[in-house]
Amino acid sequence: MPVPAYTFLLLSGALFTMGAIGFLVRRNPLVVFMCIELMLNAVNLAFAAISRYLNSLDGVVFAFLVITVAAAEVVVGIAIIVQVYRAGRQMDVDGLDLMKE
Amino acid sequence: MVVGFALVAAWELVTAAGVVAFRRPIHNALALVGNMLGLAVLFLMLNAQFLFAAQVIVYAGAVMVLFVFIIALMNPVSDITLGPARGGEWIYGIVFGVIFAALLGVLLVNQGLTGRSGPFTPEVINAVGNVQSVGTALYTKFLFPVEVTSVLLLIAAVGAVYLAVRRIR
Repeated sequence: MPVPAYTFLLLSGALFTMGAIGFLVRRNPLVVFMCIELMLNAVNLAFAAISRYLNSLDGVVFAFLVITVAAAEVVVGIAIIVQVYRAGRQMDVDGLDLMKE
Repeated sequence: MVVGFALVAAWELVTAAGVVAFRRPIHNALALVGNMLGLAVLFLMLNAQFLFAAQVIVYAGAVMVLFVFIIALMNPVSDITLGPARGGEWIYGIVFGVIFAALLGVLLVNQGLTGRSGPFTPEVINAVGNVQSVGTALYTKFLFPVEVTSVLLLIAAVGAVYLAVRRIR
């Protein structure tokens, strides 16, 4: 095994952390969505790595399901973002607080 | 193999930083495309050719085309013009990130990879074929999750159509 499993998992953790930072810090809803995608991708990497190093296919199958769920999530999320944009509101996740009232 | 992994890992970290830090959304999107393609290469290194294809087609293809298309359609402003900045958000974010990464690292070092090893060694998978073995697992052992996911996709399609047709007052 030339590359040990934990390096893949460390890389996955680093990518997930960066996605989480971006999710918390950024204010453009599109970029927030991209950071969510980054986190989902990091989890997929962990799934694939564990699947490979434990000689199992379960991780690959679940990574595939995660890709599917992410695609569905992006479709609905972008539809909502476009609706907010068409309503003429400011594109800022801090400014979108109608649900508070 | 190790050199290749180091190169791709560095590429992944750089593009991920680009996704988080670039100011213009189109740059974020292009960095994310690069990140997903690098991840596809990592899937190849992990002997997951099916995931490689799915990643390139679904993520780098469909999802990112949708992102870039929406950015081109809306021409969203960069963060600079989003209104007054709160200030200090990056400091809090990075402090959170360091703590979170340390927790993950401690967990990984303490726990290790202790699962039971399965029968699907790379030799077994490659003898059957990667897509065939994954497909067999999808439609036998994981039939119910696959069906649930298909219902989820249907609901997402209905929801997207509903949101697209509805008029906002």
